[in-house]
Amino acid sequence: MPDALYRGPPEDGLLIAPLDAFTAVYHRASGITHLLTEPAPHILAILQERALSLDSLLDRLERDYDLADGTREALAARLDELVEAGLVARL
Amino acid sequence: MRHAFSVRIGPVGFRIGSDWRAPIAALETLYRDYPGPRDGVADFTVRLFARRPWRRFVRPSVEIGGDYMLPEAAPLPLRQGVLAAEMAMNLQMALGARRYLLLHASAVERDGRAVLMTGISGAGKSTLATLLAAKGWRFMGDEFALLDPATGLVHAFPRLISLKNEGIAAAEAAWPAARMGPLLRATPKGDIRHMVPDARAIAAMDTPAAPALLAFPRYGFANETRPVPPAEAFVRMTQASTNYVALGEAGFRGLTGLIAQVPSVAIDYPDGMSAVAQVEALWSAL
Amino acid sequence: MSDDTRSDQDPIPVAGPDTGSAAGPATGDSAGTPTRRRVLALGAVTAGAVVSIRPALAQTVGSVLNCEIPVPDPSRAGSYIDPDGKTVPARTKGAFPPSPRAFKGEEVKRAMANGSTLPGTDSQRSRAYVNYIRRLQRGQGGFTCFASLQMPRG
Repeated sequence: MPDALYRGPPEDGLLIAPLDAFTAVYHRASGITHLLTEPAPHILAILQERALSLDSLLDRLERDYDLADGTREALAARLDELVEAGLVARL
Repeated sequence: MRHAFSVRIGPVGFRIGSDWRAPIAALETLYRDYPGPRDGVADFTVRLFARRPWRRFVRPSVEIGGDYMLPEAAPLPLRQGVLAAEMAMNLQMALGARRYLLLHASAVERDGRAVLMTGISGAGKSTLATLLAAKGWRFMGDEFALLDPATGLVHAFPRLISLKNEGIAAAEAAWPAARMGPLLRATPKGDIRHMVPDARAIAAMDTPAAPALLAFPRYGFANETRPVPPAEAFVRMTQASTNYVALGEAGFRGLTGLIAQVPSVAIDYPDGMSAVAQVEALWSAL
Repeated sequence: MSDDTRSDQDPIPVAGPDTGSAAGPATGDSAGTPTRRRVLALGAVTAGAVVSIRPALAQTVGSVLNCEIPVPDPSRAGSYIDPDGKTVPARTKGAFPPSPRAFKGEEVKRAMANGSTLPGTDSQRSRAYVNYIRRLQRGQGGFTCFASLQMPRG
């Protein structure tokens, strides 16, 4: 059974305004404004490029960043939040 | 609706209809130096009406209506008719404004740049703006600041200043020659008195300003200023705008632009003159 | 889309947009020395990284309107309010009877802001009423007054 894929909005589907530790994001499809803090903006940017499974996303993040003691479970929780907010689709 | 009055406040023209002469007469007097709507065409209609025909005479109470209405609005007694008219105009703006992002803030201007002061009722927005105006700032408004999302400029909306409770005496002391409406006791918001903005404010109402400082005043605390982090300021402003959501992308761009370009400061103050001093000190340090 | 246009010389100790928060992976050099990648915190499982802006009782409402909130709304007149704020059949054990009068916008705002009790109620009943008001969805009587001031139109 294939793993679920997570997909972000299309490239022009968001307006993004970094503020401080928070980034304000306007989701065009819903008209809703969200405030994101690390690591959500990075995850969202990656998932806008292409749909990835949880494990592929984890691999990609480990390649680009030092994840310190971040866990797969933590990443899953972040993805759940983004799905809940309507910013990421679970396919 | 046999009595009517039209007026322009900043970029917004209103036509006010009323079942009673008294509120219209009061508005005509208080707004006598203001222009009429551009080309005679109003942007919003306000209606002050009696729920039943006999309520025009028996315990007369004023229902608020117009282009935009809300069913749970409680009526006001006729003697508070000016307050009803002001609230009704605010309601049209709050629900219907689309050209500008409405910020619940007072605003004063100096050298083409504006201080915006925002906060809950009682924080002192109106009183502070009035006191600053008495020290030479140009008064732009005490209730709504109109932000143009495309330009980032703030446009004046200098309607009658709504002074409450202790703010009434403070404003009267700062502006002894100001024209005032009647003292309205025991309104839903406490004692209220309307003050007509000064001639300079009315004459300059079509001149916008660039926002330069966003202040969150709090009355009744020891003097203190502290920076408000951008994200917090942004969220507070989304709650302080009646049409942020309705404006969609334009609202987002306008508000994030404002927060990115303008420092946000919380100002605690024990009395009006301390607040004025703090604002002026922050301004000089910009 | 937001540039840091404020000067570095700003003497006021205010926070500005933090350009340092922009992420960028560091690239290693060709000699094979370990790269120092930027740390990215995934956070705890229970932490949150996404907050959606939700319209609250618009702070302008007191200036704009003298709103009244009946508890419960007229379509559910006679229902009792349980401690969580849900409407339940009349005389349900542990639930509170309807409020004899509608509450003013200012009263509700105050109760929600600082936990003070609604006028004419004790603290438990007030809490139940406040929970009810929090649960009100758009379109149900008593809430449209506030909701309309911020929620999308139409």
